[in-house]
Amino acid sequence: MHRISLKFSIMITTVALAATLAGVWLAEIYRQHDSRAMLLPDRVMTLFPDPKPLTAFALTDDGKRVFDLAALKGKWSFLFFGFTHCPDVCPTTLAELARAHDEIAKSKGGAEMVQFVFISVDPSRDTASKLRQYVDYFDATFVGVTGDNAQIGNLAGQLGAAYQVAITPGMENYPVYHTAAVFLVDPQARYHAVFTPPHDGEAISKRFKVVRELVRGKAT
Amino acid sequence: MRWQVPVFVCLASVLSVVPAASKDTGVSVRDAWIRETPPGMAMMAGYMELRNNTSRPQVLVAASSAEFGSVMIHRTIAKDGMAGMVHQPQIELAPNGSLVFAPGGYHLMLMTPKRALRAGDPVVINLEFRGGLVLPVAFEVRK
Repeated sequence: MHRISLKFSIMITTVALAATLAGVWLAEIYRQHDSRAMLLPDRVMTLFPDPKPLTAFALTDDGKRVFDLAALKGKWSFLFFGFTHCPDVCPTTLAELARAHDEIAKSKGGAEMVQFVFISVDPSRDTASKLRQYVDYFDATFVGVTGDNAQIGNLAGQLGAAYQVAITPGMENYPVYHTAAVFLVDPQARYHAVFTPPHDGEAISKRFKVVRELVRGKAT
Repeated sequence: MRWQVPVFVCLASVLSVVPAASKDTGVSVRDAWIRETPPGMAMMAGYMELRNNTSRPQVLVAASSAEFGSVMIHRTIAKDGMAGMVHQPQIELAPNGSLVFAPGGYHLMLMTPKRALRAGDPVVINLEFRGGLVLPVAFEVRK
């Protein structure tokens, strides 16, 4: 009896142990699968597994201060390229980014860890004061930035942000083409992710939360 | 949003005002709005949903408004990974079909507003269709 009982209890223990291990293993698989699913590019965001460090550039902000690589450090930056004479895509995107900012600001420390930067590709019409007035309307914390064509091209090129300003002499409303994507640069000034249009402020804030959790997970 | 009751004004005659339900000439518009822009901006965009209540195509050929220097029918398009706008000389509404003017797609480009338009302001824009039909539509400025 005693022997059977011992055998029986060893057997039960073994089965229980196996079940526990299987459970742990399955949970790990699910966890990995989950985070992998979050890493997959979707319709809202593409996250880069290996964020690309940005290199020096020199632009000017709407207060006529230098806006360079250092300005991207220490915060998560949402960058959007556009121009103020843009009736459809730019106001729509900035309104959604303002919503995203409101959502992010609801979380503890959220407001302090992000900045939103509107980069005008049309410096001949978008002066510093005009940019300030423009971004202010959407969100007083937004920063308007522009510069000379070479430096706009420098930063845009690093992010793969396409644009084309078709300045035509004598034409007041010359066409401007620009990517409608929003670029996410991490606090180490690395190109971390890109948000694809059509933009939705709430979706952007939710994806940003996932990005932060993943980064925090990697750090620990 | 309920369908607005559009009023059809004949270009040639003056007095005949036909209600929207008219099956022969009916194009109706709903959810017509203009995005409020930062002060001093010379460009705004208007959006709406158009419905052709007839069994033949209706062609939108122009738009105008006393509130703006000019109004153009535009479409935001993707070109080599960039967004840009192209002028649409005309847009055909399929028989009994509808067409949405929405952010990132078709829109009325409203240039040089004659006064500062703020959320809640009503603005009338006239939509002109081939054959002479002019449809005055009340747009609401929204933030």
